[in-house]
Amino acid sequence: MAGPAVRSLRSPRVLIALTMIAGIASCAVFAGAIAPHGPGEQNLLAILTPPAWTVGGDSNYPLGTDSLGRDVLSRLIYGARTAMIVAFFAPLGAMIIGSILAHISGYFGGVVDWIIGRMVDVWMSFPPVILSLILMVGLGVGISKVILAIVLVDWTRFCRVLRSEVLIVTRHDYVAAARLLGFTHWQTIVREVLPATLPLLITLVSVEMAIAVVVEAILSFVGLGVGADQPAWGQMIADARQYVYQSPWNLLLPIFAIFLTVTAFNLLGDGLRRTLDVRLAEAGR
Amino acid sequence: MAATVLTLIARRLLAAIPILLIVSALLFCVLRALPVDPAAMSLPPNATIAEIEAKRREMGLDRPLPEQYVIWLRGALRGDFGHSIQFRRAAGALVAATLPATIQLAVAAMVLAGILGLGGGLLLFRVRGTVLEPVADLLSILLLSIPEFLWGLILLFVFGVALRVLPFTGEVAPDLPVPHLTGFILLDSLTIGRFDIFVSACQHLILPAAALGLAFSPTIMRILRSSLFDVYHEDYIQQARLRGLSERHVLLGHALKNASLPTLTLAGVQFGILFSGTLLVEVIYSYPGMGNLMVDAVRNADLPLIQAIGLTYCIVVLLINTAVDSLYVVLNPKLRVR
Repeated sequence: MAGPAVRSLRSPRVLIALTMIAGIASCAVFAGAIAPHGPGEQNLLAILTPPAWTVGGDSNYPLGTDSLGRDVLSRLIYGARTAMIVAFFAPLGAMIIGSILAHISGYFGGVVDWIIGRMVDVWMSFPPVILSLILMVGLGVGISKVILAIVLVDWTRFCRVLRSEVLIVTRHDYVAAARLLGFTHWQTIVREVLPATLPLLITLVSVEMAIAVVVEAILSFVGLGVGADQPAWGQMIADARQYVYQSPWNLLLPIFAIFLTVTAFNLLGDGLRRTLDVRLAEAGR
Repeated sequence: MAATVLTLIARRLLAAIPILLIVSALLFCVLRALPVDPAAMSLPPNATIAEIEAKRREMGLDRPLPEQYVIWLRGALRGDFGHSIQFRRAAGALVAATLPATIQLAVAAMVLAGILGLGGGLLLFRVRGTVLEPVADLLSILLLSIPEFLWGLILLFVFGVALRVLPFTGEVAPDLPVPHLTGFILLDSLTIGRFDIFVSACQHLILPAAALGLAFSPTIMRILRSSLFDVYHEDYIQQARLRGLSERHVLLGHALKNASLPTLTLAGVQFGILFSGTLLVEVIYSYPGMGNLMVDAVRNADLPLIQAIGLTYCIVVLLINTAVDSLYVVLNPKLRVR
């Protein structure tokens, strides 16, 4: 496993992506130290001030304030925390459920495979946006609810893609050999099949991280996300959409933050796919 | 040939029925499990417990869940999806009133995504092996990173707010009347001969449709490019070159034709997703379609309406997938021979 890992770290895509993610993650972790103001701190005397470098700007609020006089820069930084928490936990949960079911489905085949396959079919006939909205009605707002909704919607992505990979791996002779050596099914899956599907799994997780950031932003934008007391980029966009003529910057900045984060995760996914996938890496593409 | 295609479509539609039944049952169970009481919500706040109980009985909420589902299903089959709690109108009628606007938006976006995807895919393929390849590649990843949600906001910002060249709220200018014939405003305005409404509706359609189209074109681009790569390994490409055909003719006349088949199937799945993507774009542009109705219903926990809209989205997506499957058979001569 050392080979592909080293190869990945030499890839410029992976390196650039990791640097960007590290930057955003440190904003998230050290938000309390970096942000000039508290995320909910209102100053009703300084509503919708433009960024400091424009006319009418206030150096106290480097990127201006929103419709309640809250500091945009601080909310962006604290919003990164929300985004990163969701980007970390939601893909993790979706991966765990999806990959367990995929391995069971692909390894054992038969009736189990059929049942899991039909479950995925039914699940995927719900458009993801619609399903997550319906789930949020039931779950209520909150960051853990957003994570749960994403997990419940997106486990199918992992399940479907990984199942076909497991199917291929299971047919290899070394898996049969492991069984002949007296490995239990559980041991065979964990020691022989899982290492072979791991590269694909890692790639899928990084792509899912990008999706999770967008979904969190969307739900917060619609007002069914992390809740009003938690700063989130989607909420900032919804607020700025109403005052778009007065303060266009307020709309532009969170859009840019989301774009940057999503690009970083997608770039990571693309770089990992190229370096971890043996077939792709050998073809030089 | 026509008969085989028809049987195939019929078979696909039949296969979709059990899925729809399960989907509707799931939807029903999830929404009934919510800590919301539709009976109490549809009565004024000062209603007595006894009144609420009576309403519960009237709405059938006191019966066991499977029975409730059968009652609902029987109504749904007759087009009766219950009454919206907040609008106090039939949920089915509300959906029917907003669906045309959403379909119109989705179709415009699909056409745009198809054109952009085709052009971009060919361009990506043409720059292969040149210094431009990594640039184009990176650009396509960058584009892939922008979902319809962000495109919607970016376009709104650039063309609506900064340049102020296009409107970005509603489906037609607020001072113009909205004709109600079929619900498709482009069609209706032409039918009654009001060109001003038609032009205004087109202007209002540009940004939302572009946002969706731009979000889905990179996937089509990349699928088309890799299909072209696959096709170029085939013998008939070499043969065409040996016959002295120009590279341009080989690409457009031979390779594209064969590469478009796998592209169509893979992109077809995207069209289903694109349709549900209209929801966000509608919210961003305050476009009066089913998406805005859905968000409204969700915010107010209007269960009958959520149920009706949720099911409608599922049905349309299933129909699109069936249509793409059938088109694949119609276009693929290999599958036609049996």
